[in-house]
Amino acid sequence: MNNEKILLGTPTAYQFCDDNGIAIEMVAKALSKSFLSVEDVQVFFNTQSLAKNKSSKNQASKYWDIDHAAFGDIRIESVDNFSKITAENLSAAVQVIPSVTHGDNFSIQKINDFRQQVKEELKLQNRSLTLLPFIIKAMSKSLKKFPKINASLSADGEKLIYKNFIHIGVAMQTEYGLVVPVIRNVDKKNLLEIIDDLQNLTTLARSKKLKQEHLGGASITVTSLGKIAGLRFTPIINPPELAILGVSKTLIEPVWNGQEFLPEMKVPLDLSYDHRVINGVLASHFMTDIGNRISNPELILI
Amino acid sequence: MSDQKTKVVVIGAGPGGYAAAFRSADLGCEVTLIDERDTLGGVCLNEGCIPSKTLLHLAEFIQEYKTSHEFGFSGVISNDKLLLNKTREYKNNIINSLTSGLGNIASRRKVKHVKGYAELISDTEVSVNGVTINFDYAIIAVGSSPVSLPNSPINERIWTSTEALELREIPDSLTIIGGGIIGLEMATIYAALGSSINIIELSNDLLPDFDKKHASIVKKSLIEKGCKFYFNTNVLKIETLPNKLTIHCKNDSSFTIDSDIVLSSIGRKSNAGKIGLENTLMTLEKGDIIPVDAQCRTNISNIFAIGDVTGMPMLAHRATHQGKIVAEVISGLKHKFSNEMIPKVAYTSPEIASVGLSESKNDLGIKIKNTSFPWMASGRNLASNGGDGLTTLHYCPDTLRILGGTIVGKNASELLGEVSIAICMGSTLKDVALVMHAHPTISETIAFAAEKALGTLTDL
Repeated sequence: MNNEKILLGTPTAYQFCDDNGIAIEMVAKALSKSFLSVEDVQVFFNTQSLAKNKSSKNQASKYWDIDHAAFGDIRIESVDNFSKITAENLSAAVQVIPSVTHGDNFSIQKINDFRQQVKEELKLQNRSLTLLPFIIKAMSKSLKKFPKINASLSADGEKLIYKNFIHIGVAMQTEYGLVVPVIRNVDKKNLLEIIDDLQNLTTLARSKKLKQEHLGGASITVTSLGKIAGLRFTPIINPPELAILGVSKTLIEPVWNGQEFLPEMKVPLDLSYDHRVINGVLASHFMTDIGNRISNPELILI
Repeated sequence: MSDQKTKVVVIGAGPGGYAAAFRSADLGCEVTLIDERDTLGGVCLNEGCIPSKTLLHLAEFIQEYKTSHEFGFSGVISNDKLLLNKTREYKNNIINSLTSGLGNIASRRKVKHVKGYAELISDTEVSVNGVTINFDYAIIAVGSSPVSLPNSPINERIWTSTEALELREIPDSLTIIGGGIIGLEMATIYAALGSSINIIELSNDLLPDFDKKHASIVKKSLIEKGCKFYFNTNVLKIETLPNKLTIHCKNDSSFTIDSDIVLSSIGRKSNAGKIGLENTLMTLEKGDIIPVDAQCRTNISNIFAIGDVTGMPMLAHRATHQGKIVAEVISGLKHKFSNEMIPKVAYTSPEIASVGLSESKNDLGIKIKNTSFPWMASGRNLASNGGDGLTTLHYCPDTLRILGGTIVGKNASELLGEVSIAICMGSTLKDVALVMHAHPTISETIAFAAEKALGTLTDL
């Protein structure tokens, strides 16, 4: 009968905790509060379950919880933890971030000419120069010009955090899944250093040797399907970054020069951005700036 | 072989049982409600809470009437037979209207009411009137009965509260054994009806569950109404003589009390022993108490128990809340019952009521301060001839959060709800003080008590 204690929340807050199998003591401690309203526990619970992606799993996905074997022979394989974490993060990004994708094609005629010119020299150095380092360097120059894109929104949506550094994440496919190692301080590195960083990170990623220091904290991510196929795609932002640049396979487009159509090598770029922070005009300017640098690589090198 | 099948069977139709049955039906379950009585409502409605409050209302009225000479009325009451007949009729009408109301509510919900004595014959079957009913879930809500006096003869002049509430007669002298809440309520009724009252209590004071300062106001008032208290006193035996009962008592010395009627109110005991639990694997504690978890589940996972059979405090509102929780749990919700905020009331004159923590009821050793407002300074109380009273808030001196409340005074039970809400919503003294209370009201005393501690009171 002697069960008296100081209450930690309203009756509805207690019932909400009971219903959802959470201990009100834990919520009070986590929020550093001595008394909880039902709103407190609801917000806490929703934040938690969003992080765990439970709500979408339990509710939305119930509609596709069907018996596939009823339609023919099947094989079942467990999803590994690495893929599960990636999946949860991507689902959370899609649920939380209102994103828009902006696409355009940019001439890489001059970059290709340049690559031809330095090809032999780099070969002697045991290096090869692809398109990606140019794009990464161009992104770093453009980020410096558009600081609002080199930022993150705080989780509660209350603050915008501007970054005085430029780190660029590069999405890489490995045998065990997708990883995004980061090239640090891209703005302070020349093309050769970026080529070396990329090579180094690719080796580490493939041999599963990436460490904490190689991951996270990027200004923006670039994801390239350039060697494979596809005209366009809409990449998913890697939060808490505000944007991601997708690179598709280069193509040849006819360009009217006033008198005739001439073939021109182009790269399709698709920028997905967080519309909570970046509006369409800013995104267009940013994209045009990157494109301008790619089409005129002398702007990258200076 | 079962003759019938139901999803939920509720055994006992008191305030716990009928709440569980009705809530269960509302949540879509097929429910059978079994009780020995013709009517629903159990002890509470038929021979407990409601009839005692009817008679306490009469007691209050008599008390008021006795002071009416101040307004020019005679203020004299003759306790003749007509009054008693009329009073019984009045009380029974109230009981009938409430029980038939419950019957209507039950049939509207399609709850099947079976009159009979129920006995569990397994974990999934109950037998009633020779019919076996198979159930998915059972809710045991069979309540409690008065503990009978040890070493006492069976005599029609030795009553329990049941006989006292039948209003068989108004004895010249009534000796109440057991000065708990029930005993004191009966003392209040019969003192007003004109009996001279003796109260024999084993412990050294009355109302141990309440703050002393408040309990003493009730004690003073009962003494003024002619009640005589014998504390630290044992009853050795009761001798039945042709025209009186002689009670042999012992405290520091031995003595006897002669009385027309003896009322035994030494407590109530669980009825769990009477329903065939031996045919199940149910475990009991202290002989007849059914231990339950926070969802009122017994050690048998499909059998729940609520109310007095689950032990102290044996209060109707506790049973009702438990009953609703169980119905919700059966329907798949994960609700839990909490013992922490059970209000306690003695409907004496004046009433005394408490909820939450107080200095005397503080197992945690936390800091608690009190702030009180005396009713003698309440305009509304004086204007309505309310008598003595005291409103006290128990609060944390660091955060000023209200942790408990004790109120003594006329209709104190009605005021307690505001304190319960304040505690449950995490209110501080300041919150309560800033809420505008109507003037003049007794409920103002709650805000005044808060203001007193804050130093913002202008009414004292």
